[in-house]
Amino acid sequence: MSESCGNPTVESEALMPKKIRFDRSTTCVKCKEQRGCLVIRHAVYCKDCFSALLPTRFRKALEPHINHAPDGPRRRALRPAGNLLLGVSGGLGSAVLLDVVHRTYTTRAVACDGVKGGREHPRGQKVWSTIRAAYVEVAGAFPGMKDRTEEVGEAVKRYEGIEFVPLRLEAAFDPAWWARVGQTSTADVSVDLNAEGTSLLADSPSASTPLDSLRNYLGRLPTPTAVQVAIAKLIRVLLLYTAHATSSSHVLLGTSLTSLSISLISSISQGGGFNVPQTMYEEWFPPGAERATESWRGEVRVIRPLRDVGTKECAAWAWWHALVVVGKERRPAAAQTIDGLTRDFIVGLEKDFPSTVSAISKTVGKLAPKGGTCGRCILCELPVQTDAHEWRARISIRTRSTQSDVPATLASSVALAPLFCYACHTTLTSRSSRSVAPTKASAPPPPPIVQLPVWAAAALSRLYSDTATEAEEIRTGGDRNVGEEVWKTRKLGEDEMRAAVGEFLFDT
Amino acid sequence: MAPKHCGLCQDARAILKRPKTGQQICKDCFFYVFEEEVHNTITEAGLFRPGDRVAIGASGGKDSTVLAYVMKTLNERYNYGLELFLLSIDEGITGYRDDSLKTVKRNQVQYDMPLKILSYEELYGWTMDRIVSSIGKKNNCTFCGVFRRQALDRGACALKVDHIVTGHNADDIAETVLMNIMRGDIARLGRCTSICTQGEDTIRRSKPFKYAYEKEIVMYAYFKKLDYFSTECIYSPDAYRGHARSFLKDLEAARPSAIIDIIHSGEAFEVKEEIKAAQKTQRTCRRCGYMSSNELCKACTLLEGLERRLRETVISSLLDPPAARLADKMLVLISLIVTVLSRESKIICR
Repeated sequence: MSESCGNPTVESEALMPKKIRFDRSTTCVKCKEQRGCLVIRHAVYCKDCFSALLPTRFRKALEPHINHAPDGPRRRALRPAGNLLLGVSGGLGSAVLLDVVHRTYTTRAVACDGVKGGREHPRGQKVWSTIRAAYVEVAGAFPGMKDRTEEVGEAVKRYEGIEFVPLRLEAAFDPAWWARVGQTSTADVSVDLNAEGTSLLADSPSASTPLDSLRNYLGRLPTPTAVQVAIAKLIRVLLLYTAHATSSSHVLLGTSLTSLSISLISSISQGGGFNVPQTMYEEWFPPGAERATESWRGEVRVIRPLRDVGTKECAAWAWWHALVVVGKERRPAAAQTIDGLTRDFIVGLEKDFPSTVSAISKTVGKLAPKGGTCGRCILCELPVQTDAHEWRARISIRTRSTQSDVPATLASSVALAPLFCYACHTTLTSRSSRSVAPTKASAPPPPPIVQLPVWAAAALSRLYSDTATEAEEIRTGGDRNVGEEVWKTRKLGEDEMRAAVGEFLFDT
Repeated sequence: MAPKHCGLCQDARAILKRPKTGQQICKDCFFYVFEEEVHNTITEAGLFRPGDRVAIGASGGKDSTVLAYVMKTLNERYNYGLELFLLSIDEGITGYRDDSLKTVKRNQVQYDMPLKILSYEELYGWTMDRIVSSIGKKNNCTFCGVFRRQALDRGACALKVDHIVTGHNADDIAETVLMNIMRGDIARLGRCTSICTQGEDTIRRSKPFKYAYEKEIVMYAYFKKLDYFSTECIYSPDAYRGHARSFLKDLEAARPSAIIDIIHSGEAFEVKEEIKAAQKTQRTCRRCGYMSSNELCKACTLLEGLERRLRETVISSLLDPPAARLADKMLVLISLIVTVLSRESKIICR
């Protein structure tokens, strides 16, 4: 022991107590021979056993969903209907996902050479014919933020056999991207977020570039929470359409158990309970694909194969396998959002109650949506729960006016609330207690008129081109037969919008 | 700055910002929306039938005081035809419940409602003061919560009422949804957002303030100048609930709709059928006859633990007895036996 100041009493007290590394045993729980290197919720693993454990958990979470129908011996014959798209963000989970997918599905075919059954045996074939990794750059949304596309591209290129697909967040407002993913362009559509029902404007002021539209969209949202959520929703739908355009039947995300639990609690805190079971496993259909007759109808399965692997395990994997983690740029005001608060809370709680993240994920896995649906949300393309908006109107009275008192501005527009899911409507309209404070008379806030993403404009276009009968069905919350929808593209006339006012107003 | 007009009537001057919606409104409109929302909750769920005898669980705190006032107001305004009672439980916490019970007694006079007070000591032979001195402060909320639930049912039986209403507010429900998810309590998660619960043999129990924000309840009590008692329980260091509560407050600060959004989420999902099928079926407690998922109900299990603990203490001190202490312990033992026997003979309602 060093006794530099000559006072042994002081020196011994100054030493930090050594952190207890093992709380139960020091021997690996798997092989029961080697000394453990990693403690995961009281269980100790050596490096070799852990290296085998993580890919096993990955495959256990993914492989039951690879075959289109569970009709064969999946251990021997994994036959996905389409290609694979990895959604990467540059974070730790993405780095681990890339590495494990590469080890499992690109090097496996080579390893099978010479294995019993010969070269032509199904075991020796590659599971996925093409694997792509898509990255959505959000730097455009925040001036001054570093663009990491190149760095992420470099990280992906380290893995042979995985193709890099760079995307930008502003593509959500770009008709050219919309055409590239095989969809038909429609006219721009704007909404007024001031109205409780979020009204559709007949006269849509168009921003000059997709980037302007994106910044205007994010800048007019009522809270920092809404901005974070809107970005996440845009990324999700961009990935889904990219997957569809690249004939991918599966999208894999690198969400770890910790991130998944945070995301579940955050989603529940924002009213997304109806769709929360879909966070565990989602199957998305592109518009118009429902009527196809082939066995694979173009649907995309979104899977989080690291959902049983905590952040600590991901970090250990990345460290032991010397992975490159690009990292993510910190977004402005992220800590004060519901997502940021939830992250701090769960990570803090995990110290005293280490099983919390696992309990959250397991609990949500036992839940199912309650009640019926009435179509898909035009913004996030998740199912809309029947009567959700009536519920909100009933439990929080926001007006004492009767139908005749409807403001003129609302009467000249179309209430869109029934076309949004509860969580998206909340994102667009729910204000913080600070944002409604009176502002100075000299600086009136700009009107919260935003352009909707291209898929929302296309959905509205389809919707309004349907017959009046179908529109009535939507208004009354009846089951929409989405299979009967027709993909038509035409600009919406002002008269038509006015004619539809009565159909979509809450108070009629 | 020019005064703002009320966002609802567009006429009077706005004097408050509604925590639930962020609207700036006048006092009259606030009373209107608060009461109408509670009325909507009651009518939408069909909570009462004309002629029902309804006990209001009254603690003397803000929630139950406002609940008693609003129930009386709505009963008169909309002719619910209810016969209202106040039902209070004395947990036996010196310095906490003593004062709040005085408030309940004042409410009895102000609202002209019959009042029934039941004590833990009378029902279980234990006060919370004694329980805490025996087990410490850790987990004492579990005892209190379980005992209170049964005590309310038993008090309601004594009053011969059909229904108990409690002052659980939106913050309480949202907090419970989060806690049940985080603790993996799937059975409670399935029922914690229900406005009305009823066991096989128990009385209907409902929460008319299910969608009322705690802040609005306080605001209502403040503007109506209601008489309530405001002190935190001295034995409530429930760490986990405390974490959940402070998290909820943070969420509310970030976005006030978070509370109602969590409740909406809780109502929008349900436990999968196959999971429900595997859950335990309801039985009756072999000791007291109350509903239970095990052989003994939770209250009796807790009581057995307390009694076993006391017996062990007494016996260990009897082994080394100075004469005076022996006499003391014998007396405690005898009083314990008497208490248990008298409680067994008091099993009410069955």
